[in-house]
Amino acid sequence: MAELTLKTLTKVYPQVQTPAVDQLNLAVRDGEFIALLGPSGCGKSTTLRMIAGLESVTAGEIRIGQKLVNGLHPKDRGVGLAFENYALYPPLKVRDNLAFNLRAHGLGAKEIVRRVDEIARTLQIQELLDLKPAALSSGQKQRVNMARAMVRRPSVLLLDEPLSHLDARLRVELRTEIKRLHAEQRFTTIIVTHDQLEAMALADRIAVMNEGKLQQFDTPLEVFNHPANEFVAGFLGEPPMNIFRTVVDSGRLVIPDAEFALPITSGVQKLVGSRKELKLGIRPWGIRVSQTQTTASVPGQVTVVEDLGDETRVGVRYGEILIMSSIPVTRRYRPGLPVYLSFNDEDLNLFDSVTGERLSENGLGSSQPTHETVEKNEIQAPITR
Amino acid sequence: MASIHLSGLTKFYGKRRGVEDVSLEVADQEFLTVFGPAGAGKTTTLNLIAGIVTPDGGSIRIGEKTVDALEPADRNVAMVFESYALYPQFTVYQNMAFPLRSPKHRLPTAEVEQRVRHFATMLKIDHLLDRPIQALSNGQRQRTALGRALVRRPDVFLMDEPLSHLDAKLRHSMRAELKEMRGQLGTTTIYVTHDYLEAMSLGDRVAVINQGRILQVGRPEEVYFRPATVEVAQLFGDPEINLVEAKIRGRQASSVRVHALGEEWSFPITPEIGSALDKLTGDSVRLGFRPVDVEVGANGKSSLHGVVYSFEPLGTKSVLTIDSVAGQRIRALVDGRRTFQVDRRIEFGVPGSSVIFFDPESTRYLVRSTRTEGDD
Repeated sequence: MAELTLKTLTKVYPQVQTPAVDQLNLAVRDGEFIALLGPSGCGKSTTLRMIAGLESVTAGEIRIGQKLVNGLHPKDRGVGLAFENYALYPPLKVRDNLAFNLRAHGLGAKEIVRRVDEIARTLQIQELLDLKPAALSSGQKQRVNMARAMVRRPSVLLLDEPLSHLDARLRVELRTEIKRLHAEQRFTTIIVTHDQLEAMALADRIAVMNEGKLQQFDTPLEVFNHPANEFVAGFLGEPPMNIFRTVVDSGRLVIPDAEFALPITSGVQKLVGSRKELKLGIRPWGIRVSQTQTTASVPGQVTVVEDLGDETRVGVRYGEILIMSSIPVTRRYRPGLPVYLSFNDEDLNLFDSVTGERLSENGLGSSQPTHETVEKNEIQAPITR
Repeated sequence: MASIHLSGLTKFYGKRRGVEDVSLEVADQEFLTVFGPAGAGKTTTLNLIAGIVTPDGGSIRIGEKTVDALEPADRNVAMVFESYALYPQFTVYQNMAFPLRSPKHRLPTAEVEQRVRHFATMLKIDHLLDRPIQALSNGQRQRTALGRALVRRPDVFLMDEPLSHLDAKLRHSMRAELKEMRGQLGTTTIYVTHDYLEAMSLGDRVAVINQGRILQVGRPEEVYFRPATVEVAQLFGDPEINLVEAKIRGRQASSVRVHALGEEWSFPITPEIGSALDKLTGDSVRLGFRPVDVEVGANGKSSLHGVVYSFEPLGTKSVLTIDSVAGQRIRALVDGRRTFQVDRRIEFGVPGSSVIFFDPESTRYLVRSTRTEGDD
């Protein structure tokens, strides 16, 4: 395994004005799991295909380890490519599915057996080698699929939307399996996905892309809690962040022509500066809904309540803006009920109303998630493993 | 305005079952969601009501009128599809006014105008009326399609996955806005979806359907907290509910001791659960508990042991997959601020109030604690 470096990597298609990938810089550490995340057309797949050598590079560098690979044939780059799951050959046993690419590359029979056994041992699929794909569980198929990409001992593993066409149940199951495999093997991996949950769940760091440009490259929690701009803020999170325009009026953030007026604290004021307007972003979980007024609370009236089992979402409308909050299950709220919304400073995301950039390098107040607990609860109980 | 009565509706496509013996009562002005996976029979049910598909058996009544012999156009139902089926070169106004200009439903121009504006305002597309469909976003197109169905003032609305091909973000906000508008519509609605969040959010009641058969009809909190079968329980929630085979090893008045997940553990039970367990023939029972209810960490209440198999942060919450002593994997949904390391030993527990008991043979719902459903 190896590190991977992209330096001002650019792809311009003929007859297309804007670059598909625009001066992308990424440094992927050895053993790291990186997600390229963005909507369709953002350049993530083009990037992956350039790394794999399936797409020519207009400008910039791709290095695997220290080696510049721009001009190399795909098979000489040391990359393993796994497309969508289940791309296994049904009539072939697992053993032959794994050997297929090695045979195609002219390896000797003995060497092929050795490599297949080795990767089967590594991924703990020895007992599956003589089965056909139809006999495998979905989790086993995922392992075999990955084994096939890894059997050639690539330096970098590339996964192109491996879960996107599966039903929700299977997707969750296989996501866990991929995560586990990476924890076991620590191979340098790049996954392309448009599913923000998949990126969050799997990756050590996420590269969020839009319109060919890198928007933010950081750990999942950092990207989630401190999005660099309005695009990232809106793209990650489900239900989505509430993002709306406010104007600064007498020390308050106000939604024009509506009853929303949030007093600006001294901490927030530092970021607002002399601005007359800005975009305010608040995640549904960052909103406290109460029937009691406090000095900094914003009055409103419930217009919609969604009871979703273990979670209740309460919507309060301010003119054109419907602010959705997510609160623990409660039957207390009904449409028509007067309520008060309040927010902690660190849950407010402020964006420039023109550029969409976040109004601070470090976010507001605490720059980290409020507290991070590493579980240290080692116990003496007997574990049969 | 009308109620809908389906009795014994059956439709086979050759040998393949579309729906079989579907009976449903939808009250006047009720919003019923029909929820199930792909191929469950949801759309067939809708098409039967609309008159697009002819049933092999059974009968449909809308209000007091049996409509089995009526043409689709004479049933006074309006359909909203997943694909908007709008005329792209027409404006929003022209699309919305279209049904009111058909020979059957023709209205005076002034009334057409009044109706279109009324519903365009409700749908917040009144500023877009002169725009061609091509110039609209997906969300605006969806509103226009809804508007076109609304202007007819039908007795019944039939909606077939109207939000399903919007992106996830838009789906959440459109769902909330649709729910917000629901009160103003006041029209009896059947809404088909494969998204359990939509089914629960929008429906006064939810009809859960799979393989052509109705599995349960109930209020959202009923189907979620008291699923009729294991299958229903599995259809609601993400990640899916944990299901565990258990042997009952002992029982006191207010607690039960079970062997499950390779360990013996006990939890408190209500008298209601006690009497349900007394009726069991054997000592086997199946336990269901949702990932959000699994408590992780040595907090005194935990009595089960495991090893972290995988840890997946999702932002506000994280999915923790635990290998239990018996090897069966359990999923927990934990606070997003906690982190866990793979292969580390942990303790976890399941509060008795969140355990759903199922019959291990029939897989039917037996009982659960009444201290649930978010009672204050």
